[in-house]
Amino acid sequence: MADTALTFDESAARNRRIIIRVGQIALAVGLIWIWKIGSQTAGELFFADPFKVWDRLIAITLSGELWMHTYETLRISFVGFVLGCFFGVLLPFVLRRMPRLTDAIEPYIMASVGVPKYALIPLFILWFGIQDAPKLWLIGLLVFYPVFIAIFAGIRGVDGRLINMARIAGASEARINREVIWYALLPFFFSGLKIALPRAVSAAIIGEFLVGNKGIGYYIEHSRQQMDVTGAFTGIVVAIALVLIVNSALTYIDKRLNAWRPTDRHMAV
Amino acid sequence: MSALLEVRGLAKRFASRAGREPSPWIIQNLSFSVNEGEFLTIIGPSGGGKTTLLNMIAQIDCASDGEIRFQSQIAPVNDLKALKPGLDCKIGYVTQEDNLLPWRTCIDNVLFPLQVQGKLNDETKARAQNLIRAVGLAGWENHYPHELSGGMRKRTSLIRTLVYDPPVILMDEPFGALDAQTRLQLQDDLLRLWNLGRKTIVFVTHDIAEAIALGDRAIVLTRQPSQVAGEHRITIPRPRDIRGIMTHPEFVDLYQRIRAQVQ
Repeated sequence: MADTALTFDESAARNRRIIIRVGQIALAVGLIWIWKIGSQTAGELFFADPFKVWDRLIAITLSGELWMHTYETLRISFVGFVLGCFFGVLLPFVLRRMPRLTDAIEPYIMASVGVPKYALIPLFILWFGIQDAPKLWLIGLLVFYPVFIAIFAGIRGVDGRLINMARIAGASEARINREVIWYALLPFFFSGLKIALPRAVSAAIIGEFLVGNKGIGYYIEHSRQQMDVTGAFTGIVVAIALVLIVNSALTYIDKRLNAWRPTDRHMAV
Repeated sequence: MSALLEVRGLAKRFASRAGREPSPWIIQNLSFSVNEGEFLTIIGPSGGGKTTLLNMIAQIDCASDGEIRFQSQIAPVNDLKALKPGLDCKIGYVTQEDNLLPWRTCIDNVLFPLQVQGKLNDETKARAQNLIRAVGLAGWENHYPHELSGGMRKRTSLIRTLVYDPPVILMDEPFGALDAQTRLQLQDDLLRLWNLGRKTIVFVTHDIAEAIALGDRAIVLTRQPSQVAGEHRITIPRPRDIRGIMTHPEFVDLYQRIRAQVQ
């Protein structure tokens, strides 16, 4: 009897997955159709035709232009992301050892969260020139804050009993950081990353609007300046695809690394 | 037999925080000693400072006054920074909660102390496997704590301490939250494992029957502030049958006497 029940559950779950998938595809077709209507109503000068965007996508893929711009955007996002992550993770670990300093600077850090980073771009250009540096500052800062806040809150929430257990078992402070605190933080770290990673890509694209002659942001802005609306739309589609791919890669890694969490199993059906 | 661990005139109250008085004395003028290879059980009412006592012996908490001497080392008093938790792995501690690392599987939790002490090798790994088999966890090695039952988690936390073989093991009501059947099984396992190695064990419980069934000697603590209310030598021969021990004449007699002392 148990077997039948199980098969029934499984086939019901499979049916549900198929229905959801069909719905998703229908929605995509519907959205493209609305896009098509929109472009016919507004005129192609304002709203590019989806099929022409598709043709352009093929064309720039074949010419290698797409890869060049995508590579540039990914490169700058990645470097900025790594920088922001590095300091976002390191600083809470350093502050953990200095509770008084933490209490002193915490209000300043929290206040600086509210500073609109994009508004600083002109200053970054003024200070750091027109190479990678201003873009890296922008991306780095946008990544730093969500990571820092997540890790900072996570460190405060680590179960002190686990740390005592590890100390008694003979673990050094470095070992405790690596084996206990880091793992306890991973879920927090990933919730920070889920905000930070798409931000890094968007920040790179916005940086490229203003600085440089490569990257998807540059391609969008350059096309607009040439009155090439199809090109601008194509760039936007590529940008969206990029963020989606980066996000799903992150979700995959999160599932692998945090498989021990009970919630993941219980929620999956 | 020589005293391996000695507690003299121990007192504890929690320090004052801003705008608050220090807590009342939890332990005051508490003295006892533990011999090498002895299984000492400590019985006390709940909230009587038993966990605090073990925390101080394990050096994750500080005494307010008095002396805790292990071999020739004296634990620091009123100086949290000078504490040496576990005294260089000489004192193991099986806490009330299992405190397993949720992201490590059963076997990786057991291997954790060996790993952080740099003692992970084929020999110690084999030892861990033997312990896993001895407590009936075979087949569960690669499961995460949340996939194990309460009893299995308890066993994992027990052998995580046994695996690195500390000379003294403190146990804080380790079987408190388990059902009666699992509890008997685990007491039986513990006695079996203890008979193999004869470690020094300080076992805290509020259950009189458990204290008599397991120990060589039982100390009864008073209500707060804790002091020794009575001491009882238990000469029921080993190996003991944990399920039949309740009818042993010495058990019945001790039970009555300890019962009278526990307030």
